[in-house]
Amino acid sequence: MVELEQVLHRVQKPARYTGGEWNVIHKEWDKTAVKVAFAFPDVYEVGMSHLGLQILYHVVNSRRDALMERTFAPWVDMEGVMRRRGLPLFTLESHRPVGDFDILAFTLQYEMTFTNILNMLDLAGIPLRSDQRGPEHPLVIAGGPCAFNPEPLASFIDLFVIGEGEEVFQELLDLYLELGGHRAGRRRFLHRAAGIAGIYVPSLYRVDYRPGGILAGIEPVTGGVPPKVIKRVIRDFDRVPFPVKPLVPFLGVVHDRGMLEVQRGCTRGCRFCQAGVIYRPVREKSPATLLRQAEEIVKHTGYDELSLVSLSTADYSRVQEVVRSMLDRFGGMGVSVSLPSLRVDAFSVALAREVQRVRRASLTFAPEAGTQRLRDVINKGVTEENLMEAVSAAFAAGWPAIKLYFMIGLPTEEEEDLQGIADLARRVLARGRELGVPRNRLRVTVSVSSFVPKSHTPFQWEPQVELEELYRRQRTLRGQLKEKGLVFHWHEAETSFLEAVLARGDRRLDRVLEEAWRLGCRFDGWSECFDFAKWQKAFRTTGLDPAWYAYRRYAYDDLLPWDHIDAGVSRDFLIREHRRAMEGKTTPDCRTGKCPGCGLCPTLEIEPEVLDRAEGVSG
Amino acid sequence: MPRYRIEFRKEGPARFISHLDLVRTLERAMRRAGLPLAFSQGFNPHPRFSLGAPLPVGVKGEKEYLDLELVAVLPVDEMLKRLNDQLPLGLKVTRVWRIPDDAPALMATIEKATYRVDVSLAREITQEDLQKSIDGLLAAPEIIITRRTGENREKVLDIRPGIYALSGRLEDGRARLEMSLAVGSRGNVRPEEVVRVLADKFGLPAEDEQPGVVRTGLYPAEPE
Repeated sequence: MVELEQVLHRVQKPARYTGGEWNVIHKEWDKTAVKVAFAFPDVYEVGMSHLGLQILYHVVNSRRDALMERTFAPWVDMEGVMRRRGLPLFTLESHRPVGDFDILAFTLQYEMTFTNILNMLDLAGIPLRSDQRGPEHPLVIAGGPCAFNPEPLASFIDLFVIGEGEEVFQELLDLYLELGGHRAGRRRFLHRAAGIAGIYVPSLYRVDYRPGGILAGIEPVTGGVPPKVIKRVIRDFDRVPFPVKPLVPFLGVVHDRGMLEVQRGCTRGCRFCQAGVIYRPVREKSPATLLRQAEEIVKHTGYDELSLVSLSTADYSRVQEVVRSMLDRFGGMGVSVSLPSLRVDAFSVALAREVQRVRRASLTFAPEAGTQRLRDVINKGVTEENLMEAVSAAFAAGWPAIKLYFMIGLPTEEEEDLQGIADLARRVLARGRELGVPRNRLRVTVSVSSFVPKSHTPFQWEPQVELEELYRRQRTLRGQLKEKGLVFHWHEAETSFLEAVLARGDRRLDRVLEEAWRLGCRFDGWSECFDFAKWQKAFRTTGLDPAWYAYRRYAYDDLLPWDHIDAGVSRDFLIREHRRAMEGKTTPDCRTGKCPGCGLCPTLEIEPEVLDRAEGVSG
Repeated sequence: MPRYRIEFRKEGPARFISHLDLVRTLERAMRRAGLPLAFSQGFNPHPRFSLGAPLPVGVKGEKEYLDLELVAVLPVDEMLKRLNDQLPLGLKVTRVWRIPDDAPALMATIEKATYRVDVSLAREITQEDLQKSIDGLLAAPEIIITRRTGENREKVLDIRPGIYALSGRLEDGRARLEMSLAVGSRGNVRPEEVVRVLADKFGLPAEDEQPGVVRTGLYPAEPE
């Protein structure tokens, strides 16, 4: 493509757009029945660090009758050149316009990528709104965590995939082939697709509002469309297809290493956490499968690091055994093993110590809240003793720096909880001194984000703390954390505010998104691009009040915008958990054998797949 | 430990791999190829190899070089084949040979690079016009340019001493220039800079777009 070549000379990091990475798959366009473009609505380095992309790329390209190519949000410099030269959004594999594909599949990882989705549709020459698309346009679909409240995007996406994609994507492609493609009849295809479990076609639902704006109803407009869409989950997780020949990028991407998923789901039940709900139940892979896949990944990629990924890898029942086998197997080849997230306890530090012969700069722990009272409210299940044991072990093992993650604005947070964050940080620092960490290297970094209420969690009804108050709490902390050895970082509160609006919002926000995009919003998750004033203007122009979405306490008997999307966990359980939170009562981890009764297993007719600590799979 | 010199091409999509990314890409290919790599000591062991002068992003390289150290002797044909089986599209090993254990480092010896540069022209010119521009440049005692060296930093320097040779002919309405320029420890002159000077000061009607640049070789300095 001569045109593309001239363009690439004018942008930063042209390897973002060239493709040609190791393990890339090029299929014959004319001989493949259905063509899918996978779209990651953020920059290449973020998208290529996403395991879901690698999984779906593998799943779809394993079929003989289908191909999947990739496209990413062009960075602002590239967008400028593309628009000036009239170059449409293209895929990295064949450099074809995205508009030539049958299906354009977005992944929704983060609310602040939503304007990038509109921008990519526009760059592809595809009408933004579903009802303006015709047979000449690709089917636009989306899935991922943010699809669990799909409503703000409902006008732009033809269908959503709710839950895990490995199987339902196949069913969707089968239907596509059976009906001869959506181009033969978009409405007929969407109607049939709505009959597949886990597929949500927003145009087939009518939303009614009460005076004042609260929802009155979300109902199917026609037969054959389920009133509730239940999420998809993979059974027999040990045998799920996994990419052992992943794409190996040239660019240094965010997570530049081999990724091996050891389990899916997390049993801890933190009450603010959406991932803990939407990826239930927990399912572990067997050590034999993991070792076999690790071997293949190392052989096919040449990576010098393999990361054992999951929501909480230290919880994997056979983690120690698996880590040791991998170190034995790969140590001599200069391949290291890494654990992306640590639990706040001494066991995790011992594990980290085992895998990191080299002491990296710092270890990170997430106590999330500064007092035991508040940690019980959020069901974090971590005590100060756990934390002090963990950091002591870390300092003793030679790590001179510790990072602590907290959230401010959690429900019921008081002044003393803020004080608790500062106190904890100082205690950790003091412990470092006691243990003889050299003063010039000793560092405790406190990183604070703002709580965002998310759908399908016990805190979905909770209001977000108002912006001015969040600023004040940030200032309070900043004032208290001025001491040599302490470093304070905070997350932009305006971003968290918009996240809350979009995470709890309804279908009417489509106008805000479109207006914000028209005003030039892109890459809203990037501080160098984020422009809060444009968003405020978009709300004013469309007459919608963002505070109504972010700051209002939703009532238990309100119909919520996502109530027709079923994550498998019962509403009664979420209410019970919310009440227990307000009483400061914790709920046990379901791995301990005590079932907290979330209702997921009977609803989805599934059971947790947890290995015996010594051998085999337990029922 | 045995040392090898590897000659390779970098073209097609691989032209856009930056120098730093190329190091990582080669390292991974060497691992996949199962070569008996020698590793550096220290915190983060890496295979011991070094590249010649960095190739600017976007420029095709016809004869690039790297030196590689192994812990065991491997037949050069086998190394060539095993590497080529594992290199992504656009990277290709063309020659491998063993060098003495005490041979000087690659970077230290390279001081000259040759380039072939295709320049699109805004209007038709004759061979004489082109030659006049070239002769004008070569006759200049000094050529002062401003080079961006960072976000907000610039450097003013004389590139004339680093232009060793320059010739050109017309082909399909474009000017095809052959250049021999300084690279490495004695300074660097970039082919785009030479084109810019020809256009700005010596009347070459170059189009304002990226010229097609190929680095055709890397050489040790000629004895003075």
